[in-house]
This record gives sequence, structure tokens and C-alpha cells, in this order.
Amino acid sequence: MNKIGLISVAALTAATTGAMADELSLVCSAEQDWCDMMVAAFEAEQPDIDVLMVRKSTGETLAQIRAEAGNPKIDVWWGGTGDPHLIAAEEGLTQPSGADTSELLGWARNMADISDGRAIGIYAGALGIAYNTEILADRNIAPPQCWADLEDPRFVGEIQVANPNSSGTAYTELATFVQLFGEDEAMVKLAAIGQNVNSYTKSGSAPSKAAARGETGVSIGFMHDMVTLAAQGFPLAIVAPCEGTGYEVGAVSIIEGARNFDAAQAWVEFALRADVQSRAPEVGAFQVPSNANAQVAPESPDLASIKLIDYDFATYGSSETRERLLARWDAEVGDPNPQ
Amino acid sequence: MTQTQPGSVQFTGVVKKYGDVTALKKLDLMIEPGKLVTLLGPSGCGKTTTLRLIAGLEMATDGTIHIGGQDVTHLTATYRKVSMVFQSYALFPHMTVRENVAYGLTVKAVPKAEAAQRAEAGLELVGLAGYGERLPSELSGGQQQRVAVARAIVLEPEVLLLDEPLSNLDAKLRRHVREEIRQIQQRLGLTAVYVTHDQEEAMAVSDDIIVMNNAEIAQIGTPAALYETPSSSFIADFIGDANLADCDVLEVEDGMAKVVLNGNTYSVPSHRPLSGAARIVLRPHALKLMSPQSAGVQGEVTYAAYLGKEMQYTVETNIGSLFVISPVSGQPFAQGDAVSVAIDQDQARLVSQ
Amino acid sequence: MRNTVLLWLALGLVSFCVLPWHMTDRGITDLAWATDDIASTGLFATVAGQWWLAPTGLALVLAFVLQFAVKAPVRRAKLTLATALAGLFWMALQGLIIVRAGPRLFETVLTGEVISAGQAGMGAGAGLCALALLFVATVSLSQSGKGQGDAFVVSTIGLIVALVGIFVFFPVMHILVRAFQVDGGYSLTEFFPRFFSSDIWGLACLFGDRSCGVAINSLFLAVMTGAGTTILGLAFALIFTRTNFRAKRLLRVLTVLPIITPPFVIGLALILLFGRAGTVTEFVADLFGLEQTRWVYGFWGVYFAQLLSFTPIAFLVLIGVVQGVSPSMEEASQTLDADRWQTFRYVSLPLMRPGLANAFLLGFIESLADFGNPLVLGSGYSVLSTEIFFAIVGAVADPAKAAILAIALLTLTLSAFLLQRMWLGKKSYATITGKADSGQNASLNPALKTLCYAIALPWAALTLIVYSMIIFGSFVKLWGYDHSFTFTHYIRAFGIDLSSGRLTGVAWDSYFTTLTISSIAAPLTALVGLSTAYLLVRQKFFGKDAFEFSTMLSFAIPGTVIGVSYIMAFNFPPIELTGTSIILIIVFVFRNMPVGVRGGIAAMSQLDKSLDEASITLGANSFQTVRKVILPLMGPAILAALTYSFVRAITSVSAVIFLVSAKHNMATSFIVGRVENGEFGLAIAYSAVLIITMLAAILLLQLLVGNRRLRRADRVQQSV
Repeated sequence: MNKIGLISVAALTAATTGAMADELSLVCSAEQDWCDMMVAAFEAEQPDIDVLMVRKSTGETLAQIRAEAGNPKIDVWWGGTGDPHLIAAEEGLTQPSGADTSELLGWARNMADISDGRAIGIYAGALGIAYNTEILADRNIAPPQCWADLEDPRFVGEIQVANPNSSGTAYTELATFVQLFGEDEAMVKLAAIGQNVNSYTKSGSAPSKAAARGETGVSIGFMHDMVTLAAQGFPLAIVAPCEGTGYEVGAVSIIEGARNFDAAQAWVEFALRADVQSRAPEVGAFQVPSNANAQVAPESPDLASIKLIDYDFATYGSSETRERLLARWDAEVGDPNPQ
Repeated sequence: MTQTQPGSVQFTGVVKKYGDVTALKKLDLMIEPGKLVTLLGPSGCGKTTTLRLIAGLEMATDGTIHIGGQDVTHLTATYRKVSMVFQSYALFPHMTVRENVAYGLTVKAVPKAEAAQRAEAGLELVGLAGYGERLPSELSGGQQQRVAVARAIVLEPEVLLLDEPLSNLDAKLRRHVREEIRQIQQRLGLTAVYVTHDQEEAMAVSDDIIVMNNAEIAQIGTPAALYETPSSSFIADFIGDANLADCDVLEVEDGMAKVVLNGNTYSVPSHRPLSGAARIVLRPHALKLMSPQSAGVQGEVTYAAYLGKEMQYTVETNIGSLFVISPVSGQPFAQGDAVSVAIDQDQARLVSQ
Repeated sequence: MRNTVLLWLALGLVSFCVLPWHMTDRGITDLAWATDDIASTGLFATVAGQWWLAPTGLALVLAFVLQFAVKAPVRRAKLTLATALAGLFWMALQGLIIVRAGPRLFETVLTGEVISAGQAGMGAGAGLCALALLFVATVSLSQSGKGQGDAFVVSTIGLIVALVGIFVFFPVMHILVRAFQVDGGYSLTEFFPRFFSSDIWGLACLFGDRSCGVAINSLFLAVMTGAGTTILGLAFALIFTRTNFRAKRLLRVLTVLPIITPPFVIGLALILLFGRAGTVTEFVADLFGLEQTRWVYGFWGVYFAQLLSFTPIAFLVLIGVVQGVSPSMEEASQTLDADRWQTFRYVSLPLMRPGLANAFLLGFIESLADFGNPLVLGSGYSVLSTEIFFAIVGAVADPAKAAILAIALLTLTLSAFLLQRMWLGKKSYATITGKADSGQNASLNPALKTLCYAIALPWAALTLIVYSMIIFGSFVKLWGYDHSFTFTHYIRAFGIDLSSGRLTGVAWDSYFTTLTISSIAAPLTALVGLSTAYLLVRQKFFGKDAFEFSTMLSFAIPGTVIGVSYIMAFNFPPIELTGTSIILIIVFVFRNMPVGVRGGIAAMSQLDKSLDEASITLGANSFQTVRKVILPLMGPAILAALTYSFVRAITSVSAVIFLVSAKHNMATSFIVGRVENGEFGLAIAYSAVLIITMLAAILLLQLLVGNRRLRRADRVQQSV
């Protein structure tokens, strides 16, 4: 009995808890390298603050801050698509940072307005189409230019896209279609594309990875993810659809009840600065920065040349719209689930 | 060697159930201090359960158990002054012989020197002095058995329990070891309870035998009493070989019964009142084969075996098949011979049907 | 015995008086009470106004007084038991109610200043007080009843029940109740229609081209995987024990590899081999002019990956059983003129039944709980584990759906567990009697031998290819496209600046954290698992079946559910553990404990019970028996439990994702992050390093634990 006691005491001593005054607990939902670079840069500027960073996907982060509500262990949440940030704001899981948004582009300020300053846009990434040049050349399939091309039977079994029930990326696509074509027409078009879809994946980034490796011919996803893959050497070509396209806004939020609010605020201000945002391409992050003065990398999808729709985050970010659209998607597009 | 007084064992109304199965029906028994008592019976009769109840390895469902006059009904094995020798010996394979023998002393925190000295004395007692450093796997079966005995007796238990201790030994060794056990028990004046299903072994070592059958006691007595005056045909059959035949008791007078068997009338000693239908117990030695003209039960030899100093026959008669042992003298009968079986009336016994 | 009680009471009182009752900012284990503020002890906190701590101290004092005031032992024990239980109950109650974030019980009824002020989580003082009260209660319980109880056994049962209660039931309840939750209350009427919906149990796939419910998909996959891994495992076990196959050692290594492979790696390798653009696919398509298909995505791919991943577990279960079939029984059969096939069919195979059943059950449960393979390869084939994950982290978070699906999954596991019990029944399968059994196992008849080879060798070849691919993939620039040789991935992950000796690789932190946490968790897991096995095999007590099932529970609940429920349960006082390494250690211990339990049960069943009984009749108590007799004889089982829990702690992912923090990040979580970013090279290089680390650890453990036996053997030879 004593032995058991001793061992458990030994185990306990191996652990530490709690946050010191000069710590900042950060969850990063962007690419790992970008996270590392940001933390290093921040710590170089603010040597008094020790940043404790862990990378988790937006879904995981949202689930965690929900479960921790009331006694959060996270101070600030940086990166990742905006919808979960907006949901967190809507549920009161985050708090306004009070950061100055005057230098930011319209879509980033828009996000702060919708969320009462709780979530602020840090980058934008447009939705697009990618295709594997080798596969399409092998099969003599003409590359797609528009969303409508994807309905063509020449792509049968070649398109991969995520399931909007599990993937935020796919939901953005669904909302984009609704805003482009109207709700009824969007469902018809998505169902027609569905005839060519070989698989609805769970994760939003999976289709482009599959296209990069030739597991599928064509994918729908965020263009900056595609750029990253192409930069690694995969034969991936990226298309901005002719009808126009929607986009996501990556955000930063401070968690409600954060133990180190001051440090979190310093982080938010840091993350919105032009010089900081300009460094993203160094680590292969080709999203469009939200600060109007930040430099845009040449590889980045030029938002100016892309026909962007005026994405209505307030409407399509709300739970009510989301549930209605997903119910319609399930009924009219659905997942045929070939066995 | 022993300072502990040998203890008595007393069961009062002890019942043991495993779920719906009754392993022991309301058992009462008393084992006197210093006696070696055998629990004998066919497998599944409850003898091992009884032994484990004494050891404290099983707990009684009902009733009380006293050892050495102390109520131990609710004490677990650890706290009873009882040691046990297991059928499989249960020597700890990772300890040396000495460590095995000293184990009980070590866990009782007896000083090391004393424990070693007592272990050595124990080994000496069983004739294994000098084997202390070996591992059990380096000993023969008989030696392992003696280590198990030494391990049990160095604790100077009030009661020594032995669970079929000889069943893993060959026939010759078995006789030798059982004599040793008996000697040690007598020399140390131990109370010992011995479980076996071998009636010859039981008769050879016991002061008293408790014969068990169907979860209860069938008869208690000295070996001689059980053999001479069996209380039932089960006992008669189980203790020594016996031929059993149905008969009619006409009358009992002065301890002698008039019995009709196969049309003939015999006069047989009777130890308990009987009348009407009964069974006669005919020991193989109490039967004699005669030429077919003689008086007796007529039959035919169906099997004859020559065993050196005696002959064994199976004779088919109209009171059933009879097993007969007779000394070799003159020309033995052969298979197929017609014979007459003579019954020694004084050696026959009666039991109820 | 009274001394034991007094000892624990003294520990409790000392803890109450001198240790900080609550957790401080420096952690639960802060013991610096003397130099810091003495006001943090339970005693001073009580005086200073935290009156709700008083009853615990009073219970300790009262129990102490009872030891001297009451003479009759049974009466004293009963009174002490009641006092200790009351103390524990009060501790739990005040801990759950006085919480700053709001009471966790009766939240609608209780309000007030005290409650809203709250208190921090329990610290060292509270923990030791609770432990002391628990042991006072169990020791007293062992004395108060009919004397059945041995203090050690009752205390062990009490401790394990308390631990399983706190670290399995308490957290899991948090998420399972969501299934019954409707606004402000609970209801069954909401639950049943959702639970029995065709989305979960639908059988449409049998009648048309629509898909079946997720539970049916999971069930079908699990049955197939259970059966497949059992057959493969049996074929391997037979090859090992009944043939003279030459490359047994290589086979042995191959059967260990999948166990020590981080998740996702097998799935990824399969895509690169058998995907539409996979190496094998292209080769075959070129050869036969076939269309390259996507068959690997969906049921067949997942099934394939699960066969690769879980066959070793079936093999490990079966090899013991196959070896255990007594040769004399087979010889008996052969002397009765049965030929080798008949002997196998009618004697050996039926005797292996418990092994087959256990192997099937493990394969079945592993398949149900598997998350990595369906995620990578599942495509449209939805199974419970991934659906639960996305119900929690997906675009539409629906904890109620997650809870309902988790209940469906538990239903399947529980049914399998019960069916297995019924099938095995009460027959005896004991073949190891403790008596040495010389004689030879019957060799296989030629047809069966060929069959075994035909089943097992392709698997072995495939495993070999998969692992060669992994090594290959870690050394090339871009696996699948640019196959120029490079060390880049290793340098990025595990680079060391030689001039300064600094570890520059990005993986070092999580690598060391993983090794540290796994090394702490493994012995604890083995300890808890083997203690539980000891209780289950050797002791009889009330509620044993329920106890056994509850120890299996954490194995059967998907990691995602465990992870989220751990946050819900342990992010708030009274037990606040999130963000620490303790929570990771605990989650590993209680998730992997069932493996220790199963292994322990198997090993302990082989030890002749008369060894324990001999020890006990010689006057040793249960604790001495365990320490001096059972433990020394359980070397291999301890080794297996240690190895397996160590490996599982390193490779588990789904539970960990939610529990890792910046200070304590785990390797798998790191790898998954890289895979999400498409950095396959780095992920695979890291996986390869982990695999080699685990192999080394296994060898080291074998050396450490195995050594004692070797010395023993040496001694045998010398003295002969």
C-alpha cells in the first residue's frame, strides 16, 4: 500500500500546472511553421513574455474552449478559419480585444464588427479549384475554368470535395454557391457536381492533398493550401472560378476569462501589424494579409484578380442558417456513399 | 521439536455451498489432538472441501469451526495455526529449498538466524539435510514431497493438513513416504488430517478414518472397525474388496443372524438389528473354491490369475460374479472349470440393502 | 490491524494540518508549505473562514478517538468505517458544490456567497486526506464483516474502484448525460427516437444502394476485422508452434511492428501503394491494362489497414493459447487413431476456444475504436469513431449526437463482451496443470500447413513492403513525386547544432515529453492492470462481474469522447488537471489498463493456485503472497504489460489531441498536425524515429525484466 502511495507521489511531482504572470498560452490553428515563426518573432520583441504555443485545428480548439468555459487555460487563439471564431464569439467564449482595426482591409474590419470586436480578421483565403495536371493530361480532360464546368460528365469520378457537415471549408463552398446562385439553384448545381464526386471527405484539406498525389483529378478547397502543395513540387494547378468565389477570413480571438489578458492583447496587436503579416510568405503561408499596408507575396492568389463575392459572414455564420443549409444539403445533394 | 500443543478440530453443523451446489451437508465431526485422521472417499465426496475449510482457504456457509478450542470460523488461512501439504507440493519454484522451508518463518518475521536454523532442523527431520541450496526443480518427486512436509511442520502447526500428498509418487515410493509421514507425525505428536481416495493408504496411516460420500460422512471409525463392521454396502465395498449379494434375514439371536442365500441357510455375525431383505458382505479371502460336488454356491471360473503366493479368480454364480482370492496350493483351477464356492460364515457380514 | 488504521489516520491528520489543502499556482504537488504561507493548510483555512473544510478534519479526529474509545473490535471497525465514509462523502460534496464557476451539483438550488466565491482545486493536502480516509474505510471494512476480508485485498479493491470511479466514470458521465439532455432537464423521450434512428441502425445497404447506418457499418467492419485478424493470428501462431518454418525470427519482428506504429502511417503507406496513383496500382494497371481505381478508399481500404494493424494483437493472444494446448491431449487423440486433421479439428481447435474468443473480442473492440484508419481511408464509409469525432469537432458541433453515438458504440462492445462470455460458458479449458508435460505437439497436416502459409505469408510480405516504404519515404524529398535522397526531414525534426550542442530540431520537445510521460505511465498502468487482474483471478468479492466490465469500459470508449470528457471533468475544481502532464499520464493509465488486466488474467491463470494457497496457509498475508510469490513468477506478464502500455501511450492519438498543451505536447499530436499540413516527409521521419525508439525500449525492457530469470537459470546449471 505504501508503495502505491510513493509511486503516485512520484508521478505527481513530475507535473506542474498553472500559468505564471508573464506567460501567454496560445493555441495556433494555422500551419505549424507559421505558428513557430510568429512565436519566435513575438518573443524576440517581448522577452518578458513566455509564449506557450500548441497547434490544434479549429474544430478541436472550439471543442476545447467550450469544455473549458468558465475556467479557460487558453489565453489567445490565433489563426484558423473564421467561422469557429465567430461561433465562439456568438457563444460568449471570447472577449473583445480592443485592438485598433483602422489599418485593416474591409473584410477584416467587417468580421470585427459582426463579432463586436471579439474576432478580428488576420488573413483571407479564397476558395478555388485545383487539378492535377498529369492526371488531366493523361486522360485528355480539359481543365475546368468555372464552377459550372465541374457539372460536366467529363469529370465523372474525378472530383473530390469535403463534406460540409464535418468540414468548415466545405461549408464555405456551400455558402458561396448559395450566395452566387441563390439557394435553390445552388442545390441543383451542387447535386449535379455531386454526380462527378468520387468522395466527400471528412476533412477540408484532404481533397487538395489527394489531388496533389493524383488520388483524384480535381479538388475544391482553399487556394492558399493548394499553393503550399504546389510549392512543395506536386503537379497542381490552381483555378479561380470564373463565376466568382467566396473566401474565408482567418481570425484571432482572446478567450473570455483569459488569465493573461494583457499579454493576449499584446499578441493581437502584434498579429495585426503590417510588418508581421508581411513575413508570412517566408514560411510558405500564402494567404492574403488583412493589414492594408502589408506586402503580398507574388505566389499568393491575387485577390484583386479574383472575382470575390461580397461574402455575408453575419448571415452564413449564424447557426440558424447553417443548420437549414446543411439539412437541405443532406436531403438534396447528400452523400451517396458508394459501397 | 514442537512446543505448540497439538490442537483438536471440531466442526459443528458446517455447511458449504457454492451457489446452488451443496459441497457439504451439515457436517459434525471431532478430531482429537495428536491423532492422524484420514478423510477418505470417492472424488467429489467433499473431503477436499472439508480439508480446505479447516485450512481457512474456504469459508463455511453455515456452522462453526473450532481449532484447538478456539473459534476460527471467520479467520482466514493466514491467521490459523494450520499448515498444509499440497497435492502438487506447491513449492515456490523461484526459491531454494531452504527459502521454501523458511518461508513461513520469514513472513512471520522470525529472526533470520533462527529461521535458518529451524529450516535446517526441518530438512534434517525429513532426511534432506544439505539440500538447502538446491532449487525444487533439482529434486526428485519424493524429495520435493518431503520438502513440502518440512515446510509445513517447521511452523509447528496445531494441525497439519495433507491433501493427497502421495498421489504424484510411484507405488513403491508411496509406501515409503507414507511410513515416514506417519513416523514424523507420531514422533512430534501432531494432529494431522490426511485426504486420500486410496483406501489402502488410508488404512495404513490412520488412527481414524472418516469415510465421506455425497457431501456427508458415511462412517467414522478405526481402520479395523470400518473393515470388520461396515455400516453400509458403500463402506463395505469401499474399504477393502467385497462381494455383495442380496439375502434374506430370517431372525437375529445373540448377535448371530440366520440368513438365506441362494437357497442355503447360513449363520452370520450381525452387529446391528436387521430383518428381511439385506445384503451379505463376502470378503474375497473368506471364500474358498472347492470341487463342484462340494456344498456351496455352484459356478464357473471365468478368469484366473496367478500372482505368485496367491490366486485371483472371478467366478460366475447365480448370486452374481464373485471375486475370490486363495493361497496357491496344489493344482490351481483354470478358466472354464466348474467349481463350488464355500462361504466362511464367521467372516461374512451383513449390511442393510 | 488497529495500527494500520492509526497509521493512515496519522497521515491524514498530518496532511490536514501541515500540507496546503488546495492547489496553488505552482501546482498540486507544491509542498513548500513551511517557507510559504502556512495559512494554506486545511487546518488554517478552516480557522480562516473556510468552514466547509472542517468536517473532513473532524472525521479524522473522530476516527482517531474511536480507536481508543471503543473496545469491541467489530463495533469499533463499523463506527470507524461510517466515520471515514462520511468524511469522504463530505469532501466530495463540498468539492463539487463550492466551485467558482458554479456548483457542479444541484446548480439550480444552491446559491450563495460561499459558492460564488469558490475555491481552488484540491491539492496535496486534500489528496492525501482523501487517500487516508479511503484506506481507513477499507481496512475497517475488512474487520467489520464476517472476516472474509484481508485488509490488503479490500484496500486494493477500494483504491481501484475509487480510481476507476474518478477517472473513468466521473468524466465519461459528463458526456454521456448529454444524450439525455433537453433544455434544463433530462428526458428519455428525446433520446430514444434519436438513438434508434436509421442514421445509426439503418439496414438500407442490404436492400438498395443507399448506405447503412453508421453503427451497422461499424459492426460489419468490426466483425470482419475480428474474424480476419483472428484467422491471420491463428495462422501465424500455428506456423510458430507447429511448423519448422525457417524465418520465424523475421516473422516475429513483423508481428511487432504494427503495434509500435503511430496511427495514420499505415493508412498513408497504403494510399501510396494501393491508391489510385499508388505504386502497386500503377504497376498492375500497366501490366494488365486495367483502369486505375479508387478501391482502397472505403470499406476495403479500412478493412485492409485494420488487418495490417491488429493482426499482431490476435497473434499475441493466440500464441500463448496455441502453445498451451497440452501435447498429451493431442497425443491421446492420435493414439485413438485420429489423423492429424481430425486431431486439430476436434481436439486442438476446441481447446483454443478461449484464445480465439479473446482474440476476436480484442480485434472487434480495436476495430470499433479505431480512428486513424477510417479517417484516412474511410471516404464515404462512415463509422462510429469518426462520426463521433466530427460530431465534436466538426463544422456543426453536436455533443448530444456524439453522446448518442458513443452509447451506440458502448452497446456494441457490451454485447460482444456478453456474447463472448456466453459462448465460452463455464467449460474448463485448462490445459496447464503445473505438472511438466513432455511430449510433442502434433505437427500440422500438409493441407493445413499450406493454408497457414497462404494466409500468413502475403500478410508478412505486405507488412515488409509497407515498412520498407516508410523508411524509404523518410529519406526522399517528396514521397510519391520527387525521390531524390535527402536527410532534410530528419534534420528538421531532430537536428542538433553540433557547435553549441543545442537541439535545433522541431520534434525534440514533443519527443522528450512523449518519452517521459510514457515512461511514467507504463509502470503505473502495469501496476493498476495487474492488481486488477489479481483481484479478478484470485479473489472472490461482491460485484466482481460489474467490476470486471467497468475496467474494460475505458478501452471501449472512443478516445475523442475520453479526451473531451476529461476536459469537462478535470478543468474545474475539485480536481483540476488540464494543462498538466498528470492528466496525460492518467488518461494513458486508465485507457490502457484493460490490456494489463487481460494480460495479467491470462498469466495469473497459468500460475497454479496452490502456490498462493501454500503461501497463505504458511501464514503469509495477501500482500506478502503477492510480493514474494506471485510477482517474481509473473516476469513475462509484467514485461508484456509494461511494453504494451508504454507503446500505447506513445502511439495513441485521439484522446490526446484535446489534452496536450504547450508545455506537454505529444509526438502523435505533433505528427497529426504535420500530416494536416501535408508535410508527409517530416511526419514519416518522426514516425520512423518513434518506431526505432520503441523497438529499443522493448529490447531494453526485455533485458531488464528478463535478466532475473536468466540468473536463475545460470544458478541451476552451476549447482547441477
